[in-house]
This record gives sequence, structure tokens and C-alpha cells, in this order.
Amino acid sequence: MTIPSPRDEFIAGARAITPVLLGAIPFGFVAGVASVASGLTPLEGMALSILAFSGIAQLIVCQLIAANSPILVAIAAAAVVSLRHMMYSAAISPYLAHLPARWRALLAFLMTDQSFAMTPMRFNEPGDRSNRHWHVLGTSVTLYLFWQAAVAIGIVLGAQIPATWSLDFAVVLTFIALLAPAVRTRADLAAAIVAAGVALAAAGLPYRLALVVASIAGIAAGMAIERGRRHK
Amino acid sequence: MKTWLVIFGVALVTFLLRASFLLFANPHKFPHAFRQALTFVPPAVLAAIVAPGLLMPQGTFDPTLANPRWIAGLVALAVAMRFRNPLAPIAAGLPVLWLLQWAMG
Repeated sequence: MTIPSPRDEFIAGARAITPVLLGAIPFGFVAGVASVASGLTPLEGMALSILAFSGIAQLIVCQLIAANSPILVAIAAAAVVSLRHMMYSAAISPYLAHLPARWRALLAFLMTDQSFAMTPMRFNEPGDRSNRHWHVLGTSVTLYLFWQAAVAIGIVLGAQIPATWSLDFAVVLTFIALLAPAVRTRADLAAAIVAAGVALAAAGLPYRLALVVASIAGIAAGMAIERGRRHK
Repeated sequence: MKTWLVIFGVALVTFLLRASFLLFANPHKFPHAFRQALTFVPPAVLAAIVAPGLLMPQGTFDPTLANPRWIAGLVALAVAMRFRNPLAPIAAGLPVLWLLQWAMG
């Protein structure tokens, strides 16, 4: 059997990500609209997207900039919602650990929920693995380009949509769309309910700290339920 | 200026988190409790963002019928649990909000 060339792997990766684009393009569009709705200039919105390349981080930063939050709170909130990337980084590093640092840095910069999900899938297929990092690059670069295009369209169109359409609500709805599949177990549900309750109860805290306090409370609740279940 | 500081700060932290284990650490030496805590980050953080967005749209707690956002949000949540398509809750929630806003004048 011949070893697939880097080019073959790259193209196969680009093809494999295509169905996922269906979900990512509208999300990118919403992120673009949200940046305009939050008062960012088109250049700022585009720069945020090109440099951070994370829908959730982009949305939360927009929301906090609109609420005039302090710089450090906005950055901390983006870090908290991006903590899952640390999990992903740990999960895929066994497949990529043999690569030179610049390859690992590039794939890390381009990492998304989608590319993370596809990396173990491709590496666990039978056959020669030596060029499979090109498959990861193919999925990542394709998603990156389509994402930036979707954000750009959102920024251009978002500036023309009147405020009475309440498009800022689309941002909250996007978070609902992400929340539902994130709740799979009773412990997840406990984490979500406690975090929601604390976020409302602690809303009076300064510097938008309610988000941080609520997240920690939710995580603690999830871990408590998980521990209780194991000890039965 | 402030916005640009946020943008560069966010770019840096998102990259460092993504690069964490790929560049700087051995993934097998991670404490179990920390890994477990990371799995609860998505439901906790997302719920903490959604709840105030639905129930405190003007900054104060408003669970009344004068606030259509939590009603539209509940519809969107039900749709999101039923259909895994990420577009479904947006396609359901926005029209419900528009309808309620129109009905309330």
C-alpha cells in the first residue's frame, strides 16, 4: 500500500471538514454581526476573529466590551471559555508530539472544537500515519478560511441591520445552541443549573465577576455530583 | 485603544491555552481532579452566560411577561435539546422574540 502524500492528506482533510462548515458558517456570521452590534469597528471585529479564531471567545469578548467591562475581566472571561482548548491540547498531543515545535504551534493556533474532534478519528484509521498531520492542517486551514469569510459577511451585513431586529439576542441563542449538547449527564445538568442560579444571584458583583464566581460554583457542583455517584 | 488591548490579550491567552500541552507539557502528568474539573467548564460557563441574557436583559432581574427574552429563550432551549442542529435554536428563538415584541407593541 502506498503512503498518502502530504497533498492527498491535506485535500482529504479539507473534504472531511465540509459537512461541519454548515454549522460553522452561520456561527461565524453571528460572531461578525455581534461584533458590530457590540460597538467594535469592522477592523477590530475582523482582527479579533483573525487572531483569536474562536467563536465563543469572540462572542463573549464582544458582549463584555459592549458592557464596558475592564480589560482584564474581558481577557479572563475569554480564557475561562477557552479552557476546553487545554483539554483538547492534552487529548491530541499524543498524536502530534513527534512534530517539530513550529508545526505544533501552527496546529495549536488553528485548533477548534471541530479539528479536535477529527484529529483522533483520522489518526486511528488503519494504514500509514506519517503524513496525517497534513490531514489536520487541511481541516484546520479550510475551517479557518471559511470562518473568516463568514465573520466578514456578518460584519458587513450586521452594520445594516436595524436595532429593532434584536440581533444581539442571536448571541444568547448561539450560547443556548452550544449549551444543550454540553449537558450530557446529571452532573453536567447540576453544573449548568447552579452556574445559572449563581450568575443571577451574584449579578450585583462589580467588574462582571458574577460570570467567574458562577462558573466556579457550577464546576464545583458538577464535581460534587460526580463524586457522589462514584461513591454509591 | 482599550479594545485593541483586549483583542491582543485574548489572542495571546487563546493561543497559550491551545498550545499548552502541545508545546509545553507532558499530557500524562495531569492531576485527575483538574481534568475532571475541565469537563464541567462548558455547561457551567455557558449556563452562566445564558441565564442573565434571558432574565436580566436590562441589567435587573425580570422574570415577568414584560420581558419576552426568557420566553423566547425557553423555546430555543427546548428546540436545542430536540434538534442537534446549531441553527435550530436561533431559527426558533428570534421569530418568537419578534412575535412577542410585536404582540406587546
